[in-house]
Amino acid sequence: MSFGLLLPAGLATLFALLLPLLLHLHRRTEQQPAMFAALRWLQGRQRPQRRIRFEEWLLLALRLLLLAVLALLVAQPVLYGVSGDERWVVVAPGIDGAQARAAVAAPDAAWHWLAPGFPALERDPPAGTQPLGSLLRELDATLREDAPVTVVVPARLGGLDGERPALRRDVEWRVLEVDANPTPVAPPAPLTLAVRHALPDDPALRYLRAAGAAWGAAAAGPAAKRASIQIAPASEPIGPDVRGLVWLVPGAVPPELRAWIEAGGTALLDAAAEVPGSDAGIALWRSAGGEALVLGRAMGNGRVMQLTRELAPATLPEVLDPDFPDHLRALFDPLPPPSSAYAAAHSPRPGGPELPPKPRPLHPWLALLVASLFALERWFATSHHRERAA
Amino acid sequence: MTAGITEFIPADVRARLRDLRLLARRPSGSPGFGAHPSRSRGAGLEFSQYRAYQQGDDPRQVDWKLHARSDRYYVREAERDSPLEAWLLVDATASMAQGDAARPGWSRLDAARGIAACVIELAMRQGDRFGLVTIGGEGVAMVPAEGGPRQRNRCLLHLHRLQAAGTWPAAASLRVVGERVGPGALALVLSDCFEESCVTLAERLSAARREVLSVQILTAEERDFPFRGGYRFTDPESGEELLSDGASAREGFLERFAAARRALASRLAGQGIRHVEYVLDQPLDAPLQRLFGKASGDADSERT
Repeated sequence: MSFGLLLPAGLATLFALLLPLLLHLHRRTEQQPAMFAALRWLQGRQRPQRRIRFEEWLLLALRLLLLAVLALLVAQPVLYGVSGDERWVVVAPGIDGAQARAAVAAPDAAWHWLAPGFPALERDPPAGTQPLGSLLRELDATLREDAPVTVVVPARLGGLDGERPALRRDVEWRVLEVDANPTPVAPPAPLTLAVRHALPDDPALRYLRAAGAAWGAAAAGPAAKRASIQIAPASEPIGPDVRGLVWLVPGAVPPELRAWIEAGGTALLDAAAEVPGSDAGIALWRSAGGEALVLGRAMGNGRVMQLTRELAPATLPEVLDPDFPDHLRALFDPLPPPSSAYAAAHSPRPGGPELPPKPRPLHPWLALLVASLFALERWFATSHHRERAA
Repeated sequence: MTAGITEFIPADVRARLRDLRLLARRPSGSPGFGAHPSRSRGAGLEFSQYRAYQQGDDPRQVDWKLHARSDRYYVREAERDSPLEAWLLVDATASMAQGDAARPGWSRLDAARGIAACVIELAMRQGDRFGLVTIGGEGVAMVPAEGGPRQRNRCLLHLHRLQAAGTWPAAASLRVVGERVGPGALALVLSDCFEESCVTLAERLSAARREVLSVQILTAEERDFPFRGGYRFTDPESGEELLSDGASAREGFLERFAAARRALASRLAGQGIRHVEYVLDQPLDAPLQRLFGKASGDADSERT
């Protein structure tokens, strides 16, 4: 266990200690007035006494202590390595708490749910699918490096993020054969793609129409594959059920469209369209030669994508490819990463990143100390004066 | 206001006053009959002397038996008891407003009022005449000497209205005191006696055959000097200020102050002025007991 300061410059506030010192010195030099007619006999031999002397030592000490603790509070003290080497058992949601306790013989361990905030096992099991991979990494970064951890998981895991979590420690990976099926990821709703064009005889419309026809032909398939296309002039407003938009109008993007994108829409812009603040973005579709065909980036709550070249066979031969409808579809509904796996095959691997130890803030305790010191100081100061006045 | 006036003398002090009598060491010079030995001779009980007959003497005063023996005319004279004229000289300068922190609202002036009221009470009981002179910032104020309850009320009212302010007036304005306080009168000075001209006034009166008594009213703080810590001492009359540390100044002050008081006492005694000190935390009649009580009477008789 070691002690550290997150903001050592905060200790400069220790200069405030001068305040009570000066205050007490000043009160000392403050002369009480007294009427005294026999002044001439007092005057005889005046010895000026200017020795630095403090009065009310205890009160002064209390005030100094109070300010010192306040300065320490400003400097944000932390304790490293206090979250002890206690054994942790985390239970993935979907497993009954009692069942997990029966399976793992660790009576003096700390039992928690593998859920955000790591609630105690006595609490109600968290509902819904939890991001298990992320939670495991968080737990690994939170606990001390040498603290043993047991993870109790069902045979099938949901809420993963496509990668086996790499942890700093060797966790005990306990798989329980329970028939807790992870809730399947909801398939995306059918896509309605709206196309807005400047010219009705834009050659690009041919290929978009063809893609729409291809989607229509696959209408008998699963819902995720279903999609439709609506082609209309640019003046036409965008319907409420539209999730994707292809904007084939050159020039600046109108503010309504920007507002629609920022509200959560996804738009594919023509190469000649201009959107303010556009930077490169990341390539979402590359040609066989590796050149970026579509660049995408986030904009508000939505996404904006832009073609790097004109949507015509001469500049974009990929429109002639048979998988153009699928590519177009993937731009608007990217495939989610795999999120479920068999627990036995998904045990965390070693080699997690070296993390600085997580310090434990001392704010609450110091704040409590400050409050009690302040109360004590007030009580002492006032009772002292009352005593004096009496 | 009446309540305030009667409060000048606490009940226990009033009870103790019963044993006191105003006594003058010098024979009284006031005309009339009273309770005090006087310089005036005449018909009376106490034989004083024979003297030769002078023209104009009442023939009834001629001692005929002595004339039968000596064939000369002698007039028999007796000592006559006269009333006393008591004057109260109350200092009302600003320094008289000083009191003790231990007993706020009880100043030197309050004590002076109380003592003066006691003396007035004694004088009225003995049928003596009494007058009041107050000396303060506004000059000299006076209630001419008379006797009786109405005079008492006048004096008490005057005392009640008295405020301690200002400084000791110039010597010229004090001349009227000497004119009014007649020879043979008893003058009781109630002051802190810090002012040189106050002492000078007492000495002058004493030298002019007035019986002067002095009560120096001191505060308990001047006697004990209980100050601790830093103080800004202010002289109420001169306005001078002195920053001092109570504890370190104490010893020197007490020493010098005691020496000054001793010097004053011996100086006044040298002038034949009876001088007592009264400290504010003592009972009001304490100085009167020392001046007029039995012990003092014995001491006086021994001295004479």
